[in-house]
Amino acid sequence: MKLYHYSSKVVFIILVIIYTLNTNHLQAKNNVDEDFEEITKKLRCMTCQNQSIYDSETEFAQDIKKIIMNKLNKGKSQKEILDFLVARYGEYILFEPQFNKKNMFLWIFPFFIFCISAIFLFIRINKNRISK
Amino acid sequence: MLSQIGFVFLLLSFISGLGIVFFYNLKKNKLFYYLVYLSFLSIVISFLSLMASYIISDFSNYNVFQNSHSSMPLLYKITGTWGNHEGSMLLWLLIMNLYNFLFSFNKILQEKLKKLTILFQTLLFLLFCAYVIFTSNPFLMNSINVEEGLGLNPILQDFSLSIHPPILYSGYVGFSIILSLALSGLFAGQLDNKWIKTLRKWSLFCWSMLTAGIVLGSYWAYYELGWGGWWFWDPVENISLMPWIAGLALVHSLIINNKAIILKNWIIFLSILCFALSILGTFLVRSGILTSVHTFAADYTRGIFILIIFLVIVGFSFLIFIIKSSENKEKINILFINKTTAIIINNLVMIIACSTILLGTLYPIIIEVLINQRISVGAPYYNSTVLPILLPGFLLMSVAPALSWTTNKLNNGKFYLYFFILISFVVLIFSFISESSVWGFVGILLAVWIIISSLFSIFINLLKNIKNLKFNFILKNNAFIAHLGVGIAILGITCSTVFKTEYKKNMNVEESFYFKSYELKFESLNIVEENNFQSIIGSFILYKKDKFLSKIEPEKRYYDVSKIITTEAGIYHHPFQDFYMILGDNNNERWSIILYQNPLVSLIWLGTFIMIISGFIGLKK
Repeated sequence: MKLYHYSSKVVFIILVIIYTLNTNHLQAKNNVDEDFEEITKKLRCMTCQNQSIYDSETEFAQDIKKIIMNKLNKGKSQKEILDFLVARYGEYILFEPQFNKKNMFLWIFPFFIFCISAIFLFIRINKNRISK
Repeated sequence: MLSQIGFVFLLLSFISGLGIVFFYNLKKNKLFYYLVYLSFLSIVISFLSLMASYIISDFSNYNVFQNSHSSMPLLYKITGTWGNHEGSMLLWLLIMNLYNFLFSFNKILQEKLKKLTILFQTLLFLLFCAYVIFTSNPFLMNSINVEEGLGLNPILQDFSLSIHPPILYSGYVGFSIILSLALSGLFAGQLDNKWIKTLRKWSLFCWSMLTAGIVLGSYWAYYELGWGGWWFWDPVENISLMPWIAGLALVHSLIINNKAIILKNWIIFLSILCFALSILGTFLVRSGILTSVHTFAADYTRGIFILIIFLVIVGFSFLIFIIKSSENKEKINILFINKTTAIIINNLVMIIACSTILLGTLYPIIIEVLINQRISVGAPYYNSTVLPILLPGFLLMSVAPALSWTTNKLNNGKFYLYFFILISFVVLIFSFISESSVWGFVGILLAVWIIISSLFSIFINLLKNIKNLKFNFILKNNAFIAHLGVGIAILGITCSTVFKTEYKKNMNVEESFYFKSYELKFESLNIVEENNFQSIIGSFILYKKDKFLSKIEPEKRYYDVSKIITTEAGIYHHPFQDFYMILGDNNNERWSIILYQNPLVSLIWLGTFIMIISGFIGLKK
C-alpha cells in the first residue's frame, strides 16, 4: 500500500501550500482603484444580461459606478458599500449569493454530497483492502 | 406554396411515425423500415421547404416574415431557418429523425433490440412533432401581405453562431437515441457487450458533437459579446453544460466492459439523465423562465407543453428503469486505486458538479416562487463550488488511463509521484515570482501535471511499440490524447483568466498608446456601408519595439432593420497571446477603447479541438 501512503502525504503538502498562498493573496491590496474594480466586478448590471457593472456602459452602471467611487473616496469599506447597494437594490445585484439562512442549502449542498460520497468511497475501499 | 408543402410533409412524417408504432408488432420488417425511411424523407423535405422559404424570402410565411429580411446575405438567410424558436424546433425534429434513420442501418445489434430502439426513438419524435404542430408551427401563413421582413437578430448574424445550432443539436438532441437505446436494452433485458459497444459509439459521437457545439458557442461569445471572456456561467451555458457533464460521465463509465450489473444500471441511469437534462434545459429556456439570447419569444403554452413532455419522458423512463433493472448481487472490484475506482471517482465528481450547476440554475427560480425575492447565482458561486469539486477528478485523470483493471499497481507509480512533487515546487516558485492567485497556482499545477504525465505515458507506450507503429497505436493511446487536450485547455483557461491584463484608454486618431514593450497606434477610422448594416471600423496598428506586428480592427455595427448596435472585437491571435480590442463610445471627439492582453487563449481552442478529434478517433475502436 505504498502508493496509498504516499498520495495522502502529497495531498496534505498541496493543501498546506494552497493555504499559505491563499493568505498571501489576501494581504496584498488596499488602493482605491483596485477596490473599485473589485467591487464593480461583483455587481450585476441590472439592466443588462449577465454583465457586471464593471463591464457595462449603460446609464444604470454609470450611476452605480459614481456612487461607489464617491463612497470609496469617503473611506467606506468594501463591505459597507456592498451592504448599502444590497439594501437599495436587493440581493439580485450581487453575482455571488450571500451566505445567509435562505441560501444555506445552495452553499452547503455541493460540499455536503461531496463529503458524503468521499467518505462512502473511502469506507468501501478500506473494507476491500482489509478483506484482501 | 412552400409553406403548404412543408406542413403537409411535416404531417406525413408524423403519420408515418404513427405507422412505425402501429406496425411494430407485425412480422413484416420491410414495411417497418420503409416507414422509417419515409418519415425521415418527409421531415427532410419539410425542413428544406422552410429553408427554401427563407432563401427566397417568402414573407407570406409568418415565421420568415418575423425572422428574415431580403437584404441579408444568403448565408444568414439559410441559417436564419434555425435562428428562431419554430425553425430550431423543426431542426430538432430533423436531427431526432436523422438519428433514427442512421440507426436503422446498425448491423451489430439483434433485430429485436434494434426495432425496439427505433420504436422508442419514434415515440420521442412523435411527442416533439406534436409539440411543433400544435404550439410552434413554422409554416403559419401571414394574414396580411407584406413586402419586407422584420430581420434576424443581428448578433445571430455571424458565421460560427450560424453553424452552432446544427452541431450543438447533433449532440444535445442526439442524446435521445442514447435514451432509446438504454430503454430498449432494459425492455429486452439484453444488456450484453454488443449493446454496450453500440451505446458507447453513439454516445461518444453525440458527446463529441456537443463538445464542438459548446466550444463554438464560447468562441462566439469571446469575439462577439466583447467582454473579453468566453464563459460566463450564464444560465444557458449551464444548461448545455449539464448534459455535457452527464455525457462525460457516461462516456467514461462505458469503458468498463465487464459484467458488473450495478454498472449497467448506472449506465442506463446516466443515459436517461443526459436526455432528461437536455429537455429540462429546453423547457427552462424556451418557456422564458430563464431569459437569454436563446429565449426567442417567450410563450406560456409552449413552456407547459415542453414541461409535460419532460415529465412524460422522464417519468416513463425512470419507471421502466425501476421496474426492469436487474438486481445486483455481484461485487465490483474497488481498490485503491485501480481503473474501476478511477472511473467511479470520475462519475461521482461529474454527478456532483452537474447537480451543483443544476441547483445553481434553479435556485433563483425556487427562491422567487417561494418567498418572492430575487437573487442571482452568478459566476463566483460556480467558481467556488464546481471548480473545487472537479479538483480530484483533474488530479486523477492524468494517471487514470495508465491504471490497471485488476490490481492497484500503477506502473512507474513512484516516478509519477516524485514528478508531481517536482512540478508542484516549480509551479510554486513560479507563482511567487509572478504574483498569481491560488487559482493560478492550482490551475497551472494541474495543467502541467496532466500534460506532462499524459505525454510521459504516451512516450512509454511509444518505446514499447517502436518497432511496429500503426494506427492502432493512436487508438490505444486515445485516452491519453484526450486528457492531454484537457490539460492544454486548462492551461489556456487558467492563464487567460489569471494573467489577463486590461487597458482602458481614450484615444484620438493618430494617437499612440504604449504598454510594456508594445505600441498601439490609432491609424484611422472608417465608415463602411454594407447591405444590411453600417459599420465604424477603427484601424489600429500594433508594434513591438517599432516592429510591425499586426493590424487590429475592432468594429461597431448598426443594423438598420432591427435598430441594434453590435460590437465586433478586433483580435490579433499571436500564438502565445491574444490582443483583443473593443471600440467603445465617442466622448468629446475621443474614442474609448478597451484592450485586453489574454495570454494563451489559443490553447483553449487547441485543447478542446484535441478532445473532439480524439472523441471521433475513439469511434474507430
